[in-house]
Amino acid sequence: MALYDNKLWLLSHIRDSFISTDDTGMSELVLIGDDLPKQLADNLDWYRDPDDSDDDEDDMNREPYEMHLDMDFEVRRQRSNTAVRLEKMDIAKKRAAKVKHIKWEVSATAPTTEELDNLFVRKDIKQNQTVGKKSLLSEQLEKCTNLPQNPYIEYAKFDGSAQIGILTRKYKIFLTMLPEEHRNYPMIVSCIATAKIEELIGFILLKCSTIHGDFPLKPVSHYGLYITEEDGEVDHDFPNLDPKECVAKFGFTCLGLVEHKQITKNVSFESSQILIQNESAEDINISIHRKIKGDEAKQITANMHLMKVHATAMEAPLYQSYRVYIVNKMRAKAEIQLGISGEKIEIDPLQQKNTKFTFVRQKPVSHHIDSVAWCEVTDTKSSGTTFRVVYSSSFGNNGASSNVNANVTQSPTLQTSTSFKHYDFEADHNTAEEIVQKINLILELRSSGSRKEYLASRERKQKRKTLHTNK
Amino acid sequence: MVVDGTSENDQIILATGGYDHTIKIWQTHTGICQRTMQHAESQVNALEITPDKLSLAATGYQHIRMYDLASNNPNPTVNYEGITKNVTGVGFQEDGKWMYTGSEDCSARIWDYRLKSAHAAKIFQTSAPVTCVCLHPNQVELLVGDQSGVIHLWDLKTDHNEQFIPEGDTMILDIDVDSEGTLMAAVNSKGRCYIWSLTFGRDGEPTKMYPKHKFEAHKRQALKCKFSPDSTLLVTTSADQTARIWKTCDFSLLQELKQENQRWVWDAVFSSDSQYIFTASSDGYAKLWNVKTGNMEREYAGHQKAIIALAFRDATV
Repeated sequence: MALYDNKLWLLSHIRDSFISTDDTGMSELVLIGDDLPKQLADNLDWYRDPDDSDDDEDDMNREPYEMHLDMDFEVRRQRSNTAVRLEKMDIAKKRAAKVKHIKWEVSATAPTTEELDNLFVRKDIKQNQTVGKKSLLSEQLEKCTNLPQNPYIEYAKFDGSAQIGILTRKYKIFLTMLPEEHRNYPMIVSCIATAKIEELIGFILLKCSTIHGDFPLKPVSHYGLYITEEDGEVDHDFPNLDPKECVAKFGFTCLGLVEHKQITKNVSFESSQILIQNESAEDINISIHRKIKGDEAKQITANMHLMKVHATAMEAPLYQSYRVYIVNKMRAKAEIQLGISGEKIEIDPLQQKNTKFTFVRQKPVSHHIDSVAWCEVTDTKSSGTTFRVVYSSSFGNNGASSNVNANVTQSPTLQTSTSFKHYDFEADHNTAEEIVQKINLILELRSSGSRKEYLASRERKQKRKTLHTNK
Repeated sequence: MVVDGTSENDQIILATGGYDHTIKIWQTHTGICQRTMQHAESQVNALEITPDKLSLAATGYQHIRMYDLASNNPNPTVNYEGITKNVTGVGFQEDGKWMYTGSEDCSARIWDYRLKSAHAAKIFQTSAPVTCVCLHPNQVELLVGDQSGVIHLWDLKTDHNEQFIPEGDTMILDIDVDSEGTLMAAVNSKGRCYIWSLTFGRDGEPTKMYPKHKFEAHKRQALKCKFSPDSTLLVTTSADQTARIWKTCDFSLLQELKQENQRWVWDAVFSSDSQYIFTASSDGYAKLWNVKTGNMEREYAGHQKAIIALAFRDATV
């Protein structure tokens, strides 16, 4: 192997030595672009052995040398930065090596007439043979004239993949509205940094609709993006990201797409199996997860459901707070914090933003859980779900629950009209469902006097109603 | 997506590119973007698909880059360099023997693009930056339009050339010859369209051009002109935010393709049966129009900035 008489090798050696001893890393910024040694060698030495200039070969000759440097010479110093840069440079070089560069060149010798005749052949123009033949494009278009256009197609322009010179953001998106087995892994979505949250949602839905084929998806306004844990658990303590805000405003990379209305329970197993067949080639990683056989998947889904029920029952008495709106009789709303635990229910007002006067002045109150008699969803609207918590106002006054029972026996009719009061709350659908479920689980566990009494009075009312109607 | 190798030639390919430094490949009937490729260093000026449908050529500032259509590589595989300015046009000899380009460094070139025949390379110098190049269907004459308003007819075999000046000092922006080689159209920066009738040159003789017609195609500069494959129609695109389809029998207007806020219409191409037309515009959308009805049938969304160039290869059933 010729070394010291090889200009290319020497130049390459100087370059590499310079890079490897430069701690600032600046040298790479300067040298990263072109293969300077080769260019210089080309300029300096016209009579160089043509073998040396052979692109592929000299790359192979020089590269092992660069790598040996670390081991043979035992350069013991902190050079992680440089190492990283070297690696990047290496990747860039490899990528560049894949691109073949062809320089404009006109041959010095004139082409022979034979060559000219071969290259530039005058063609007799016959009647166009394709005239009258149907184009494949036309056929495909005719086949799908009634093809419903993907409703999210307008969001395609927010695609951040393969963009150059534009800031993009990459997200792991958990699609909570999909069947259980598709919910557990995130979809990687890259969008441009100037997109708004609602535009990101639209783009996610576009991507989702192309991957998950026929899964019914609703308009963009039906969905919200929530901060989500790496394992896909949506954090409902925080509100969804403001759809009108720019994605760049939020620093979270892991988000959950949640449908504001409940439809997930309607998804049957048949449809999920179709989805499995529809898997597209680009989701190779994802498909690994899906390779569970149909039955197994069903079993897992069922188990997961059981686990979920169990977990919510276990967690019900644990303290949790929610942000909801309290609705008074005048239908005015105020945001409050609702704290629920196995002992009590607390209502704490929140500082009202941008309001000089409030219609609802909510004082902080606390009710013992045994005074709470009933909890139910009263109304479901697109804007949110309202739910009602009924409590016994006489519970605290009388001091003990035994007294409540005594009251019942004295004058039950009076009792029902005076001692039960209620609060109306409004929250988004998921939160409302969760709260109602939580309270009801606690109430079932404790089955307090207030609850029994309330149920009894409701039964009486109902009986009376039926009596009236029967008359 | 893996392209099925066996059905390669039955495939429809639509590629678009422009100012956002990306090239997109579309599924034409659904409007879904199949692939995005990076054109890092400059905007895309022109696109062309090789006759074997295996590669896509994209021209930009100082370079022509070749992308592999059969693989999923987002980066170019070949880079042609040596031009000092913008490359404005690119095309291929119908059997893929050589590639031709036009560039703002006042030249049109023939490239031995597959490095097979060293003597193919040729250069033709003009006095003004070249705006467009068009290969006559006889495969031996290249029409070169430049910024000073001259159309050069360059015979590749003999290097003989002729000049035509339809309108002095008015930039020629595009030239096209119909598939039968009987009509030639050129559009200029004043929105005018010139038509010549061509006669077949007998062996070795250059094609003769006879001015036939001249009409105001657009109020503002015209950007592209293309004959339909069946030679019955001519489409012109313009900065006046329209594309117009003209009948070649009398050059009367057949359709005006217009959409609110679509801005400059840069490029257009017909389907092989002349029933549909694709356009590319500054609003970042490529659009598919029905020639008969003038209705827009599909929209291809995904580009961040203006689309300048289209490349399309149809197939027949």
